[in-house]
Amino acid sequence: MTRFLPAEDYLPSGRYELLPFRFERLDDERVLLSNMAGEALTVSSADLTTLVNGDLDRSGALFSRLRANHFLRQPEDRAALELLALKLRTRYARLRDFTSLHLFVVTLRCDHACRYCQVSRQSADRASFDMSRETADRAIDLLFRSPNQALKVEFQGGEPLLNFDLIRYVVLSITERNRQHKRDIQFVITTTLSLISDDTLAFCREHRIFLSASLDGPEDLHNANRPRPGADSHARFVAGLEKARDVLGPEAVSALMTTTAASLQRGPGIVDEYLRLGFHGIFLRHLSPYGFALKTQSYQGYDTARWLEFYEETLTYIIDLNRSGVRFTEQHAAIILRKMFSCHDPGYVDLMNPSGAGIAAIVFNYDGGVFASDESRMLMEMGDDTFRLGSVHEHGYDEIFSAPALLSALEDSFTLSAPMCADCACEPWCGADPVYHHARHGDPLGRKAESGFCQRMKGMTRIFVKAMEDPFVAALFRRWALSC
Amino acid sequence: MSHMVRIHRITAAGKGAEMAEGNGLSVTLDAQVYDLWAVHQAAYRLSDRLAIQVAIEGSTIQCTLYPVTEGTNSDSLLVARADFLREVTDQMLRARIREVTEPVRNLILAYTFSRSGLQK
Ligand code: SF4
Ligand code: SF4
Repeated sequence: MTRFLPAEDYLPSGRYELLPFRFERLDDERVLLSNMAGEALTVSSADLTTLVNGDLDRSGALFSRLRANHFLRQPEDRAALELLALKLRTRYARLRDFTSLHLFVVTLRCDHACRYCQVSRQSADRASFDMSRETADRAIDLLFRSPNQALKVEFQGGEPLLNFDLIRYVVLSITERNRQHKRDIQFVITTTLSLISDDTLAFCREHRIFLSASLDGPEDLHNANRPRPGADSHARFVAGLEKARDVLGPEAVSALMTTTAASLQRGPGIVDEYLRLGFHGIFLRHLSPYGFALKTQSYQGYDTARWLEFYEETLTYIIDLNRSGVRFTEQHAAIILRKMFSCHDPGYVDLMNPSGAGIAAIVFNYDGGVFASDESRMLMEMGDDTFRLGSVHEHGYDEIFSAPALLSALEDSFTLSAPMCADCACEPWCGADPVYHHARHGDPLGRKAESGFCQRMKGMTRIFVKAMEDPFVAALFRRWALSC
Repeated sequence: MSHMVRIHRITAAGKGAEMAEGNGLSVTLDAQVYDLWAVHQAAYRLSDRLAIQVAIEGSTIQCTLYPVTEGTNSDSLLVARADFLREVTDQMLRARIREVTEPVRNLILAYTFSRSGLQK
């Protein structure tokens, strides 16, 4: 039988060969390079030209760096392609697993009236805004159709604790049915903690349910962002946190913050509040262009450039804390850095390509509507049902997951073929966000040159690369990347 | 048109540019040196600031740059023009990288997906 020589044997001797990579200018002098597996390097503008023209000095440090990171290879580097392929395969391995995160919107009712809220109803009308057992049963049927061995069930609202009976019902039903299915199932309740009770906590402990809570910062800021009768949201959060940690353990409660215009001057103070309350990290989150955030102009309260200023200032504060010996992580950075420094995808739905909508996460709304993402159902609250994939009462698994709304959004937003994304160095750690771009630009792909999503990713990347010129920060960021 | 030209940074961004009719700036590029595709890609990247009209005239590519936002002054239009020229050069460089790495890129993708189990 005729055998072909390996491709490596056809390399011209004495020359190096470029491996595929993309670049993005950081400023007039520096250029960021990333290869197919997402490994990144910064070089000077002149070095980039020399590299591409084939004139790089093969005895220099830059040559070694580029070779070690698979930006070029020499004839004897036989394993380079296999290694790159292995990394790329690892990067896309999650596609095989399919949907993990299943969100159950158990009620739209809420005891809060947050200014930027996307969905909540101040109503005592349980019949209109609570999920019924019948709807939950249909959703559980669909949950077990997912091929993923690891399933995450997240209860959302409104304030989900206002329909705790249903949460109890869903957890018990899933646990019972899972005796047969034998999946790894993790339960999470997203809550403000304002209504947490001893009974609730006892049930959470018994079923190892995690709590994902909301903390926007110091008391005055938190209460201003999150009005409720009695103006005591922060005090309730602190009391609830203490109780929950006592019963569930210190690591069972995490917190999320949302940046409003009022937060922009308060970055270090917000971090201090997280530290004071015993958290080891924070996720600096921007507002999404959905729901009441748009209606109440909260979203227009700041633009991406202003959010990036806030982000850089707060990140610098966190870095300085670490420098002084306080261990504290910025989790948004950790997710992106993990993608930059390794081929493992941390599975953050907003930064996935193909988009995580539907294929990494799915939302069962209180009325049985099925949505491709949490943002999709928020869009629905604004009267746009583009990403409603069906109803648990009317459609089966195959119909929902092959809904044209889902398939075309995934295909149209795919970054490897999208203008600008296809040749962008940030692409390996960025994502396709069809719902955002639909909401802002009217189509799933959007116009990346004008996209706040794109500006944010490029801006954050610039901030990271600049910060990593300091060896302390480079080491810190590597630690964050490994820990998330 | 050859992709194999050696790439040099544009240093004299003002060359070949003059005020066009209306409030646009015109830029003339030699079609022997610049690729039309690179011009389009650059125009897309700058579409938040500039609307760029592109036409082929003989052996030149004629680009007319219009500011997208009202009230853009001539100084910022000159900066945008320099950015456009820089971006065209970057796009040429990207095309060159894509061209020379195409075979190895296909090989890597073949290795990757031959063992992924994704293409059953
Ligand atoms: S953001 Fe959450 S806590 Fe605030 S009103 Fe909306 S559902 Fe309630
Ligand atoms: S959205 Fe922007 S940052 Fe992300 S890959 Fe596309 S061009 Fe790059």
